[in-house]
Amino acid sequence: MKKLLSAAVAVLALGVLATGEAQARKVTIALIPGLTTDAFYITMHKGAQAAADALGDTLTFQGAPDFNPVTQVPVLDAVIARHPDVILIAPTDKVQLIQPLKKAIEAGIKVITVDTFIGTGKYQTGAGDADFPLSYVASDNILGGQIAARALAKSIGGKGKVYVSNVKPGVSTTDQREEGFKSELKNYPGITVLETQFNDDDANKAASQLQSVLARNPDLAGVFGANLFSALGSANGVKQAGATGKVRVAAFDAPKAIVEPLKKGLVDIAIAQHPAEIGYFGVVAAHAVINGQSIPTAIGTGFTVMTRENIDEPAINQFLYSD
Amino acid sequence: MSVTAAPAHVRPPEPRPSAWIAWVASARAWLFLALLVAGFEVWAQTSFQATFIGNIFNIRSIAVFAVAPLLLAIGQTFVIISGGIDLSVGFTMGLAAVVVSHVANLATPVIGDVPGLIVACAAAIGVSIIPGLVNGFLIAWLRVPPFIGTLGMFGVARGVAFLLAGGTTVPVSNDALSYLGNGSIAGFPVVVLLTIAAMLVLHYLLGQTRFGQYVYAIGGNRAATVRAGINVRGVTLRIYVLSAVCAGIGGILYAGRFSAGAAQAGEPLLLDSIAAVVIGGASLFGGSGTIVGTLIGALIVAVIQYGLVFIDVEAFWQFVVVGVVIIISVLVDQSQRKGGRVDE
Repeated sequence: MKKLLSAAVAVLALGVLATGEAQARKVTIALIPGLTTDAFYITMHKGAQAAADALGDTLTFQGAPDFNPVTQVPVLDAVIARHPDVILIAPTDKVQLIQPLKKAIEAGIKVITVDTFIGTGKYQTGAGDADFPLSYVASDNILGGQIAARALAKSIGGKGKVYVSNVKPGVSTTDQREEGFKSELKNYPGITVLETQFNDDDANKAASQLQSVLARNPDLAGVFGANLFSALGSANGVKQAGATGKVRVAAFDAPKAIVEPLKKGLVDIAIAQHPAEIGYFGVVAAHAVINGQSIPTAIGTGFTVMTRENIDEPAINQFLYSD
Repeated sequence: MSVTAAPAHVRPPEPRPSAWIAWVASARAWLFLALLVAGFEVWAQTSFQATFIGNIFNIRSIAVFAVAPLLLAIGQTFVIISGGIDLSVGFTMGLAAVVVSHVANLATPVIGDVPGLIVACAAAIGVSIIPGLVNGFLIAWLRVPPFIGTLGMFGVARGVAFLLAGGTTVPVSNDALSYLGNGSIAGFPVVVLLTIAAMLVLHYLLGQTRFGQYVYAIGGNRAATVRAGINVRGVTLRIYVLSAVCAGIGGILYAGRFSAGAAQAGEPLLLDSIAAVVIGGASLFGGSGTIVGTLIGALIVAVIQYGLVFIDVEAFWQFVVVGVVIIISVLVDQSQRKGGRVDE
């Protein structure tokens, strides 16, 4: 009888231990960035690591060196084979990553997308075939485009011609920045938005396009570079044309390479996302889901507007992407 | 850019069939460039009453745009004439851009702008020679096909460049370097003047020296060149080092222009540079090609891309037009081959 009792106590204790473990279950999380060679994702990784350390979770960081589904999918497959609890991924294409990510779901792995999204970016709606990720943690890139539009409109005095220098069509984030930028400028009747130019992430091409657009439109007042190389290239085009101060440059993203151009007045405005915040909340969401909590289907992170005037303030330049 | 030599200069000292074909191709390229410019001019005049080529700003912009792919392309010309291809130049350029930025950042505060620039340039050129040496060794001694050997080096240079850059873009602050990238002398951008200088040197090397003759010979008939007692391995090694050094110079100028050492700086330029060489009349099978032809090829690529924006063609059509031009050029190349190629 005594033996039986102690056995029962032991079983009970084990049970308690087990539930105790379940409440603070260590989660294995794989973060797959859009590309590994970019300060934005490196900063996101740092934020994610900080959250993983705080929660006692295990985080791995594996990705491809360029932003391309062809190279990202094999990495994703390898990660699925390792079977983490949760995959945090910045999908490199809205459509092409849907089927590969379904394989993760079939393997019982939870999927959360960070920075970029698949399908429409509206998850857990029961609509379409790409609503299966649990959450989308990112800056609202449409809002970011709108913020850029307002800042650029202000600096050109609300009138003149502007255009968007973009990377290539089909990338969810840069498409949204352009969309937000253009929609916001509809509120400025004095501003004409010209045809978008795609530069394939080549600063040399972006510079040449700026000069060509300027040659055609001598009254060009501003350009919105939808990512770093679009902005650096456009800024160089403005400089080569001797139009610094006449053509204003708004840049999206704020790696350290944006500081010099800002200080020299080559770039007038930089819109910084908060990638560390994206990484942090991505990991927190992953931890919550595995531990039985519900999470929002979208988590929006913030922006900081950087200018020559405020770039030296610690409250502002803490949002520069670090390497 | 119009100061360059007339087509008559192109001819290497002893006229040979392949060189003559190259001359024809080069003349065709001239004609094509002239047609393109005329087309844009007519369009600009009729649709919005502006001049395309009469605007000095357009000419300067196109020249600056063309220099980066052109620097890769003139080195690539030697490689392609010798019957090879160098896929690693894009990331060799990125590697040099990262190295020049790092070294300039370290050296400038200690020894000042100009000495800092000199040290940084020496380091960047020194580092960019390494992929060239490895390529040359793989191809000349181990007989690795150039496409595969340089593809491997493409990966290695890319990885090392990103490692050195810490996976990001290295900001650089050195006024002398910035002057190289953005300054101008009497209205001529420094990047353009430096590229013209490099082009003249390579034009001389290819057309007027024994080394240049060997390059044609290797591409024309490697076995015969070996039998003639020429040090084919040594020449091949030098060809790939030359290509890598050109890419290194491209990387330095990129870092100067954009105040940033970006490992991916040259990635989008690789295909443009090969296109420039082929449009300029070089054969991908080796044995023919000229520096002036490559110049025209690079100008054609630049004029198309710039001009299409100028006349306000929608972005997606720009991709199509550039692709079509490359296809037409290769077709022209092939028809010449059928028409008159005689192997030595």
